[in-house]
Amino acid sequence: MVPPVTRDAQLINDLYNVILIFAIITFVLVEGLLIYSVVKFRRRRADEMPHQIHGSRELELAWTIIPAIVIAVIFGLSVDTMSRMTARGTLSNPVAHVHAINDVEARRRVERAQPVDLVIEVIGRQWIWQYKYPGGDGVTTNEELVVPANKNVRLDMTAADVIHAWWMPEFGPMIYVNPGELSYVWFNVPPGDYIGQCNVYCGVAHARMISRVKALPQAEYDEWYAKQAAASSAATRPGDPQAGMQVFMNGSCIACHYIEGSKAQGRVAPRELTRFASYPTIAQLDGFENNAENLAKWLRDPQSIKPGTAMPNLNLKAQEIADLVAYLQTLK
Amino acid sequence: MASISIPIPLRDRARTGLLGWLATVDHKKIGVMYMVMAFSFFVIAGLLALLIRLQLAAPNLQVVDPQTYNQIFTMHGTVMIFLFTIPMLVGGFGNYLLPLMIGARDVAFPRLNAFSFWITLGAGLVMFGGFIFGARSDAAWTAYVPYSNKTFSPTIGMDIWLLGLILLGIGSTLGAVNFLVTLYSMRAPGMTAWRIPMFGWAMATTAGMVLLATPVLTAALIMLVADRNFNTQFFTTNRVQLWQHMFWFYSHPAVYIMILPAMGIISEVIPVFARKPLFGLRAVVISTILIGLLGFTTWVHHMFVSGVDPTIERFFMFTTMVIAVPTGVKMFNWLATLWGGSLNLKTPLLMCLGFLATFVIGGISGVMQGSIPIDQYVHNSYWVVAHFHYVLFGGSVFGIFAGLYFWVPKITGRMFDEKLGKLHFWTTMIGFNVTFFPMHFLGLLGMPRRIATYDAGRGWETGNLIATIGAFLLAISVLIFIINCIKLRNGEPAGNDPWEGNTLEWSTTSPPPEYNFREIPTVESDRPLFDARMRVPSN
Repeated sequence: MVPPVTRDAQLINDLYNVILIFAIITFVLVEGLLIYSVVKFRRRRADEMPHQIHGSRELELAWTIIPAIVIAVIFGLSVDTMSRMTARGTLSNPVAHVHAINDVEARRRVERAQPVDLVIEVIGRQWIWQYKYPGGDGVTTNEELVVPANKNVRLDMTAADVIHAWWMPEFGPMIYVNPGELSYVWFNVPPGDYIGQCNVYCGVAHARMISRVKALPQAEYDEWYAKQAAASSAATRPGDPQAGMQVFMNGSCIACHYIEGSKAQGRVAPRELTRFASYPTIAQLDGFENNAENLAKWLRDPQSIKPGTAMPNLNLKAQEIADLVAYLQTLK
Repeated sequence: MASISIPIPLRDRARTGLLGWLATVDHKKIGVMYMVMAFSFFVIAGLLALLIRLQLAAPNLQVVDPQTYNQIFTMHGTVMIFLFTIPMLVGGFGNYLLPLMIGARDVAFPRLNAFSFWITLGAGLVMFGGFIFGARSDAAWTAYVPYSNKTFSPTIGMDIWLLGLILLGIGSTLGAVNFLVTLYSMRAPGMTAWRIPMFGWAMATTAGMVLLATPVLTAALIMLVADRNFNTQFFTTNRVQLWQHMFWFYSHPAVYIMILPAMGIISEVIPVFARKPLFGLRAVVISTILIGLLGFTTWVHHMFVSGVDPTIERFFMFTTMVIAVPTGVKMFNWLATLWGGSLNLKTPLLMCLGFLATFVIGGISGVMQGSIPIDQYVHNSYWVVAHFHYVLFGGSVFGIFAGLYFWVPKITGRMFDEKLGKLHFWTTMIGFNVTFFPMHFLGLLGMPRRIATYDAGRGWETGNLIATIGAFLLAISVLIFIINCIKLRNGEPAGNDPWEGNTLEWSTTSPPPEYNFREIPTVESDRPLFDARMRVPSN
């Protein structure tokens, strides 16, 4: 397993290692008996006739009862591990489902399960995770979830389209994120960069639905957050094609878009972007001329310009939009 | 048993040539057609698997585009399960062997039997035709709602996939009725319950499971077709787990539908090649039936992370683990059958040893992932891919090959080339483990299943490369088997009983006449032919 960084992941890891001991004993026993039999009891003479043993009640009872005891032990260990994992509501689990977003009672019950320092709303959609921070500063991210390290974080997750699953292997347990339902994840992690990805098949770019978590010490987190809050309102420097390419290739754009010779191999969007800047219009929308101003508008909210387009509102920040515009205009 | 005393004209009534096959209601010809069909689908789905492995051999490969990749793994899973393993074991071996083993002239409803086959083949052609001509589903074999509904899978490929499965369900259900009636009412005189060969018990349990489980899947499929085409709201107004419940209520028992007949096969082969009776026949029979019953109580373990009430989950964790006990009993009974025997290490027995050696790994990993905390980590990862291939390849496919090497001499009257058989076994054994063992580690390293590609730097490169190499070794092993099949034409004549068999099919000619037995034999033990050879008095 990947090295655990949370208590829950550690508990799973420990349980795995204990059960692995039983597994290895069983494996060695069976394979040993098998190999021994093949060597010892191979036919040596064509006419040899072994003892005709039809069974043995004692032996059969033994290999019913002993495995049953082993199974009972494994069951007990599993239940014990579950009870020691991060508490929630009446049962223990570091992840939880509430089956209806508007079931306020159930939500309260789960949300009271343990104190948290930060709650982030997460929406899974084909093929990105979108993170919305509390506080009304309009801070959202798509490519990376930034959290303060060593703090109790809770994610309140739902899906916008099909079923997705949230799995950060280093954090331990995964959970499905269902449309129309709420999934909760609690974690508390040391500083570092973590990576995971969607774990329920969700369509053509399922493999590109990556989730990244960056845990920063509180001071650095505060600094990052302040910068985000400022950047979400206005760009701080002119658009930079290099930075724009970074946003494009590391973000969710490549799930749907195709640019020859790059990592972007998505085939959802109807038109390649390889020579985007040479197209007369954006999104094949009649009269929507391909220029920097329109492109920025489009990236800010595609749905308001061409309702029903497959391109979602990615909650891009002003700086990201400026950089993306600069980058896309280099594609000739 | 009045029907069996009716004299049957002892001339070969069989039509010859193509019409003889197309119009046949003979259980043996139908069985052979099932086998040929299933094996062809096995080769096709195997080639699809090679494409999957090529794509994943290294990070960011583009052998096929992601859309095609998703269609390929969907088809690979669907074909391997519904058009290879189940028709091969139930339709192929079940049809060919059941009447012969119980001393009957045919199944109870021969025309219904033919109908089952043709509807199965038709369903296969519908699904595969759709695939060839571009109407492809990409919703994986599990077709989870809402991904499989009209909004997210708008193409006709999904409908064709659903229709194909509905037809397969009908074929499979009718076949199950047929087998149950045959086993109940057409056994030779003297064949009491405890004298039914183990394969017969396995088929009875399997048929019972098919009969109870398949209608639930068929219902779900029809509901989804209606949702997609007639604006019903079965799966849109209910919670997303509804489909999963209905799907897994069939598809978990389906695992046992795929493994119990294979267990039945090795329970026939091992005693013959060890020259010993099956150790604890009654315990094996009872375990089989228990597995069949418990198999219906575990389906929620596929849903431990998808949002099921945690209290319910614990119940299903318990039942999932408990099923290991009867499975373990069978495992140890097979080992005890080998113990102290006189092991004739021919290819059929080698394949059984392959079954035991690899299936145990799948059984162990099954208990491990039955534990909810561990499942919360390995669910949907490559660990699970490793697990079910150890069960379904390590179990079912080794069982199928054991059965083919054992009974094809009966079916064709010719022996396989033993040297090629051994080569086939070893390439399969090595290729299989090289392909699938590394997948455990890939899963533990966080690699999800069903991803079309992956970035470098997550520690997945080596494992994937090794798995791809193993897959090509496996492909070579299948090629060796095909060569061996072609060489059958010049194979040595098998005679009635090349292996010193135990059961009634070895008492008739190879291949058996259309009416199977000149005289319906009278059965006096669970190993009638062994006893006849030993000339021991009946017990």
